[in-house]
Amino acid sequence: MEDYKVIKVKKSVYENNNLEAEKVRERLKSEKTFLLNLMSSPGSGKTTTVVRTIKSLKDKMKMGVIEADIDSYVDAEKVAKAGAKAIQLQTGGMCHIDAIISRDGLDSIGSQELDFVIIENIGNLVCPASYDLGACKNAMILSVPEGDDKPLKYPKMFSTVDALIINKIDTMEYFDFDLEAVRKRVKEMNPNIEVFEISAKTGQGFDQWTQWLERNITQWNR
Amino acid sequence: MHELGVVMEVVKNVEQIAKDNKLTKIHTLVLQIGELSSMIPRYIEACYPAAVDGTILENTKLEIEVLPGNAICKQCNNVFNIIKCDGKCSNCQEQSWELLCGKEFMIKEIIAC
Repeated sequence: MEDYKVIKVKKSVYENNNLEAEKVRERLKSEKTFLLNLMSSPGSGKTTTVVRTIKSLKDKMKMGVIEADIDSYVDAEKVAKAGAKAIQLQTGGMCHIDAIISRDGLDSIGSQELDFVIIENIGNLVCPASYDLGACKNAMILSVPEGDDKPLKYPKMFSTVDALIINKIDTMEYFDFDLEAVRKRVKEMNPNIEVFEISAKTGQGFDQWTQWLERNITQWNR
Repeated sequence: MHELGVVMEVVKNVEQIAKDNKLTKIHTLVLQIGELSSMIPRYIEACYPAAVDGTILENTKLEIEVLPGNAICKQCNNVFNIIKCDGKCSNCQEQSWELLCGKEFMIKEIIAC
């Protein structure tokens, strides 16, 4: 009989990721680069929102976008056309990205040359909420056609982010979407969350969103 | 189903622990998973044999301990399980609380020689 012993480990599986995320933030601080992790479900209008955000801010700062997708180059091409430096990461089946992928993405895009980088995370409201990418702020988009019950179904995502963007506000009359109920639900689980109502298509509400970004970018670079 | 990728991260951790402790043979891996973490124990169990195939954890036993999602009420300091009590304090029904545990995903211990 071999002599087995119990080795106490007590180590979080996320520990390596969290250490890497802290290193990413320290690096961003020294480079004076602001990183936004943008999450949402597929089809919420993430790329359209990113494109309009680039158009609003590109004259004021150097921007870059890291597109993370399971496959394809579709989004990176659209974003590059809008006027930001863009790279595409393909995860090849993985449903989330982690801090190591985020670090490698910053290396490839050349973050030291940029003021503001957006990681367009994989369209998914579950797994991305568990991974700290080392971003300065985390935001998510919920679009009107998805329904106002999403905070009840995916509470972790809504309780993790700093900002919630409610997109496609121009389609309100076609859907039963209770804005006040969403605001109340998310504020209960995350009292510090900032909520923005926008239409990435028409530009409605965009000023408040970009002002919030600019304020946070200035604070980060202080 | 993101459990497969996560179990592969566990394998990396265990390989390092085995190296640090000069272990050659592992019998059992014990994980602790919080009720509120995004890991589903039965999915972890289902993908475990495939994820550990060809690694130091091949043919080892997996044990999972589930940790409760407990919170303390900010109103009356009562500790209650937020899943069983539907997010409301079991004593005063208040919905304002601080989470004590339940989001963990830990490698608790390994039995090895």
